[in-house]
Amino acid sequence: MTGPMTRFEATRLIVELAGDVPIIASLGHPAYDLFAAGDRPQNFYTWGSMGLASSVGLGLALARPDVRVIVIDGDGSLLMNLGSLATIGLLRPSNLVVVVMDNEEYATTGGQPTPTAYGADLEATARAMGIAATATVRTPEELMDALDVALGPTFIVAKVQESAPMAKPPLDCVFIKQRFMSAIHNPESAMAGRPLPDPSS
Amino acid sequence: MTTTPNWALGVCSGVHAAGSRDVVYVPDNPLSHVLRAFEQQFRDVRLLLATREEEAFGIAAGLYLGGRRPTVMLQSSGIGNSLNAITSLLLPYQIPVLMVVSMRGDSGEWNAAQVPMGRAVRGIFDSIGVPHSTVESGDDAAETVRLAGRTAFGIRTSTACLLPRRVTTGSERGLTP
Repeated sequence: MTGPMTRFEATRLIVELAGDVPIIASLGHPAYDLFAAGDRPQNFYTWGSMGLASSVGLGLALARPDVRVIVIDGDGSLLMNLGSLATIGLLRPSNLVVVVMDNEEYATTGGQPTPTAYGADLEATARAMGIAATATVRTPEELMDALDVALGPTFIVAKVQESAPMAKPPLDCVFIKQRFMSAIHNPESAMAGRPLPDPSS
Repeated sequence: MTTTPNWALGVCSGVHAAGSRDVVYVPDNPLSHVLRAFEQQFRDVRLLLATREEEAFGIAAGLYLGGRRPTVMLQSSGIGNSLNAITSLLLPYQIPVLMVVSMRGDSGEWNAAQVPMGRAVRGIFDSIGVPHSTVESGDDAAETVRLAGRTAFGIRTSTACLLPRRVTTGSERGLTP
């Protein structure tokens, strides 16, 4: 059963607590809410690749052990890629936080119930795959406590009410990527120029 | 000591020379030689096992966003498992991944279940706009893989390098001590 907290409220709380930490959002309503809660260059909005948000977050966490990485996933999305929990449980990057906005429905496609509406337990799945720091939360206070874990990986199921999204993120995928890479100081960002070798050397 | 086939060592050299130090993989039989060669001779390359090829591409995308040059190593059948990741993440976001594809279903195949996808792989890459090249011999592997990677990371376009069975299991397989 979902709690009183809406997905937007949970998303806004995460953005408020995130500082300049990068956030990867699953496509559809999770990404829409992240944009509406606080657009920032450190937000990576996916427009496709349903199920892969936690995998993208895992790769980023492995590439950048110096930064915390937050993933905002959906229950329907994660159910497409449950193997990701096994891989996270295997590699255990301490800087990865996965929050599943579990509204127990495919909200972006019209509200069809997902298996979590009938008892599928994503937190138990994560735990069984070797992720030790897990929680299921229903209120902002519980979410705040769950996010306050020093050593991850952390897996949080936020049982949330569906809330109608208020806005959509930018549609230009390359813009989203370049802005994101630049914000996390990736020198490969094409928004930065680069020095040429010294011709005198 | 197990001998490393020439082509497998070449794949490792090519990946390394392209600047890739992260290989996300779903194993297959020929690729086991490459994995072993990485472990033994390229200790600075991180090998990351994925449970499914599509997941491997997601992890690779995150690695790239974080500043790495990722390689995904998989069997051709796994391209079928990965099309949504390639077409809705890598391509529209211009995220470069070097794909090293161990071919099934081509000349020398014994398993009919591998044939339709194996036959289709090049056509699929052409349809979705993924440049691809093919390793023609064990001696050719290092340079073909290196150039595929150099192109991928240079122009920020995911690029595939195919390893035919003729090279990985057939008469072209040169064994070095």
